[in-house]
Amino acid sequence: MSLFLLQLRGELLKLFARKRTYIGFGAFLLVEIVLLGLLRLPRVQHSVSRILERTGYDAAQYLSGLTLALMILIWTMVLLGALYLSLVAGDLVSKEVEDGTMRMILSRPVSRLRILMQKALASFLYTATLAVFICVTALGLGLIQGGAGGLFVFAPLEGVFALYDFWPGLGRYLLAQPFLIGSLFTISAMGLFFSCLNAKPAAATILTLSILLIDSILKNIPYFESIRGWFLSAHMASWVNVFQPRIPWGQIAEDYAVLLAIDATFLVLGWFAFERRDFKS
Amino acid sequence: MLRIDGISKKFRGRDALLPLTLEVKRGEIFGLLGHNGAGKSTTFGILLGQVRPDAGEVWIGDVSVQRARELALRRVGAIFETPAFYDYLSGWTNLRIFSAYTSPVPEARLREVVELVRLGKRIHDPVRVYSHGMRQRLALAQALLPGPELILLDEPSEGLDPEGIEEMRKLILRLREEHGLTVLLSSHLLSEVEQLCDRVAILNQGQLVFSGAWRESDRVRMRFEVDDVVVAAGVLRRHGAMTGDDGVVEFPAGADVSEVVRDLVHSGVRVHAAERIRISLEDFYLGRIGR
Repeated sequence: MSLFLLQLRGELLKLFARKRTYIGFGAFLLVEIVLLGLLRLPRVQHSVSRILERTGYDAAQYLSGLTLALMILIWTMVLLGALYLSLVAGDLVSKEVEDGTMRMILSRPVSRLRILMQKALASFLYTATLAVFICVTALGLGLIQGGAGGLFVFAPLEGVFALYDFWPGLGRYLLAQPFLIGSLFTISAMGLFFSCLNAKPAAATILTLSILLIDSILKNIPYFESIRGWFLSAHMASWVNVFQPRIPWGQIAEDYAVLLAIDATFLVLGWFAFERRDFKS
Repeated sequence: MLRIDGISKKFRGRDALLPLTLEVKRGEIFGLLGHNGAGKSTTFGILLGQVRPDAGEVWIGDVSVQRARELALRRVGAIFETPAFYDYLSGWTNLRIFSAYTSPVPEARLREVVELVRLGKRIHDPVRVYSHGMRQRLALAQALLPGPELILLDEPSEGLDPEGIEEMRKLILRLREEHGLTVLLSSHLLSEVEQLCDRVAILNQGQLVFSGAWRESDRVRMRFEVDDVVVAAGVLRRHGAMTGDDGVVEFPAGADVSEVVRDLVHSGVRVHAAERIRISLEDFYLGRIGR
């Protein structure tokens, strides 16, 4: 195995061998179960049915496992995704500095750029694992509860209203995952950047969350509709466009190009900060 | 082996290290002494490329740490005052993770080093259950894994019990004897440094106040028992000696004591006893930092 892969394996071991990781995954599963319970409440089902029936569709056909899975996925991400990813990414460098393990690593003949590249890559793989975990568990829970059936997508802020039969719906659900991972990685990249600064791990997490929260609030203020493209969360929500009846590939490409540029900027700035720091007990 | 060439560092405008020049020879155990904040950790940080010096350069072999850090540190191992590990992982996994930052290490080599530091039975336990001594030994193991030629030990005996200190000392001596390691050691335990180090450097408030073989460099201290104190005092003065209130006679460094005794006898003084007083490193150190 090449040295780079060996080092990456070490990074992944550090992330995945922590109890916190599994507690986090367990928390996601718990939130999904709670959401599923809420979505099965007659009053909630009635609201969803009303939207469907108003447009002339059969609510019974589209209030299926797939619809529940998508709802669970979206809300779990909103409720926990940002919090958890900023917590993990915010720790990547700063926690190692605080614990003293970074000094141990930096006594080795390895460049800081390589250390950061591995942390970024490990963070990307972690983000992807988390997204896949939520995608699969939400789908499983949804199908167990709601059974197979059509997919109903209603995301008014992104202007998405769509209905699919089971298989095309499942296809769109799976197609959305890589884009969701791309969006979530921006949170990790931002967390990693703040983690590289001379600050406590909690500060990196809080800064990341604050920016995401403020960005989301500002994006949803109607006065700022004309400058929606300036907000990070507007681009991050682009994965939902995969559910449009005609997928706006141009729009999606533009959004992800912006996110990619932002991710790259965070990583370069993080590297710059990390490279210039002195590490001393 | 290690050449420190005029390195200096300021933190927030405060001098942490004034220009420091030192050389550690191959196979030598060299002690770096100083009070807390004297600049030892800054020096170690600069040696490992963890701290960027404002001026100067460090050479390991023929390679500059500041210009080619990765190449320079290829055969260097280091341990720090409070060795830090991933506590939730086993000692073995920690060793694998840290060694991967240098080069792939065969399992046999890992086992060899684990046995050398006597962690064989507990190496698969999580580090969080290790005692301080075991953590120190694990730190030494990770420092030895790349097969270093130079090893930097920052307070290796800190927090160890007397048995642990002795064990660490024997291990360091063994590493030098069997593997020809060059060791740069920083410690507050002056008795340890005294037993281990060939030469020392003393830092005081970021400034180098002494560097060399401390035993040879200091004044020669003697105590004489003679019958004629007045005549003896004249002879001793001719040899540049100064007599203190405690009766201890101090000669300049390098003085030939046998010559002094011969002159005393030639001058008709009966010398009943001549005792050389060896000072401890602690006395020497305190004298150098002005206490």
